[in-house]
Amino acid sequence: MPGRILAIALNTFREAIRNRILYLLLVFAVALILCAQAVSLMTVGSEEKIIKDFGLATIDIFGVLTSVLLGIGLVSREIERRTVYVLLAKPIHRAEFVLGKYFGLVLTLLVNTAVMTAWFFGVLLAKGIADIGLAKAIVLLFLQFLLITALAILFSCMSNPIVSCILTLALYVIGHLLWSFDLLKARLPSAAARAVCTVLQAVLPNLSHFDVKGQVVHGLPVGGGEMAFAFGYLALYGAAVLLLACAVFQRREMQ
Amino acid sequence: MSAAAYPRPRRLPLVAAALGLLAAAGLASAGAAAARRADERISPLLYLPSGRYLKAAALGFDPILADALYLWSIQYYSNYRVQDRYRYLEHIYRDVITELDPHYIDPYLIGSMIMTAEAHEPEMALRLLDKGIAQNPGDWILPFEAGYLCYSGIKDYARAARYFEMALRSPDVHPAVRRFHAEMYNRAGDARTSLREWGSIWQSTDDPYVRTVAWNHVHDLRVEVDLTTLREAIARFIAARGRRPARLEDLVAAGIVDALPDDPEGGAYAYDPARGEAAYHGSRVLGR
Repeated sequence: MPGRILAIALNTFREAIRNRILYLLLVFAVALILCAQAVSLMTVGSEEKIIKDFGLATIDIFGVLTSVLLGIGLVSREIERRTVYVLLAKPIHRAEFVLGKYFGLVLTLLVNTAVMTAWFFGVLLAKGIADIGLAKAIVLLFLQFLLITALAILFSCMSNPIVSCILTLALYVIGHLLWSFDLLKARLPSAAARAVCTVLQAVLPNLSHFDVKGQVVHGLPVGGGEMAFAFGYLALYGAAVLLLACAVFQRREMQ
Repeated sequence: MSAAAYPRPRRLPLVAAALGLLAAAGLASAGAAAARRADERISPLLYLPSGRYLKAAALGFDPILADALYLWSIQYYSNYRVQDRYRYLEHIYRDVITELDPHYIDPYLIGSMIMTAEAHEPEMALRLLDKGIAQNPGDWILPFEAGYLCYSGIKDYARAARYFEMALRSPDVHPAVRRFHAEMYNRAGDARTSLREWGSIWQSTDDPYVRTVAWNHVHDLRVEVDLTTLREAIARFIAARGRRPARLEDLVAAGIVDALPDDPEGGAYAYDPARGEAAYHGSRVLGR
């Protein structure tokens, strides 16, 4: 990573860890993982499954919220506060600025996910039900956060935080519903309409590739191919979104 | 103007007012909830869409949604004040919870237990367990539960044997399932298959307790099978010769049987030529 991107990334990380939202989310996540034990007492049967489901869902929700809430303001807030002019006046390419912001947030998410994971595994260890297989699901969830962050940055380069938040969350929802295009295609009489559905399925981010929570909790195998595909998909899709974000930011008028 | 002219607003009255309002809201809410609970004889208008649609709405959180609905269902079906609580029983377990998480074993077990013990709908329970078996082919507990329900609930022993056989295909199966499986053939009237299965358990087990249990079954089943074989051979002899055999050895001489079976203790079976009946004069271990 070139030094300039690294410098911006580290600065973004320092800025992010001073953000109260991050700590608020983290405290909620940690509290919820702890609550899983109380909830599991209400079940008849395996408490283990409830605790694991609860923990993974908490990491998922709070990771996504962190990605969205921090990602949407990364670029637009800099423009709003005009702090971006100070940076861009220096010999920095605009793409380096966007990438630096992205990697700074990736570092924040890494720390955030690591804290939630450590706490989750601590709870599992205390209950004697720790299972290293769960780590596969958390790795894939982290990849999902990276993709959502890229989308948040893209929208942050285009518009204000509220619109970015709505668009990113909309893509998150769509990303988990892409399979429903298959149901729609089965009911569409027009070949052209079915083709549009196919194109949308290919173009929109498919977040189901990063979701193996159900599998790992039941001890079902998550193959190396499945993991490799998720990494490859993130590399391709994430790179495409970041390139788009750079292109948008490069053409953006600064007044 | 000095700062004293603008005294700092006092916070205490505001905080006290806020706490008062919160307490009033809490009391009102608790009162309303208690009133609702008092009128729980009629089930709330419960509409849960199929798990297929809930899965779409869950956005990847279907396992935890299944957990939440399962926890809710346990509380709901434990409430005996709701009179028509079994109305949506199959829908909730078969179409919703297990559709959201088809590998979650507990809802199959608890759902089928409620269907059998509370709602008295064993066939509904078997439909739920069949779904669980199809979704979790490596699991032995679900076919075992279905087999046990057929055995103790609806007394369909042949069906029970089929379920126990499914359970036996799992490498993790509990050894007791083999004993249930062997006994179901006996209950279904197939003593020969049951003897073969119990004999196989007796030969293969290292557990002294299981070996004793298996031997007891083998003993009695062997007597039963041998007496049936002799009864059939005597009937064939009578049909061929028009008279009863004078001794059991006549069956061998007539080529109807190759050899006479010994009883489990190694002695010969008794024969009453006047009535044409073979008998065992030892005592049956299990007394059946």
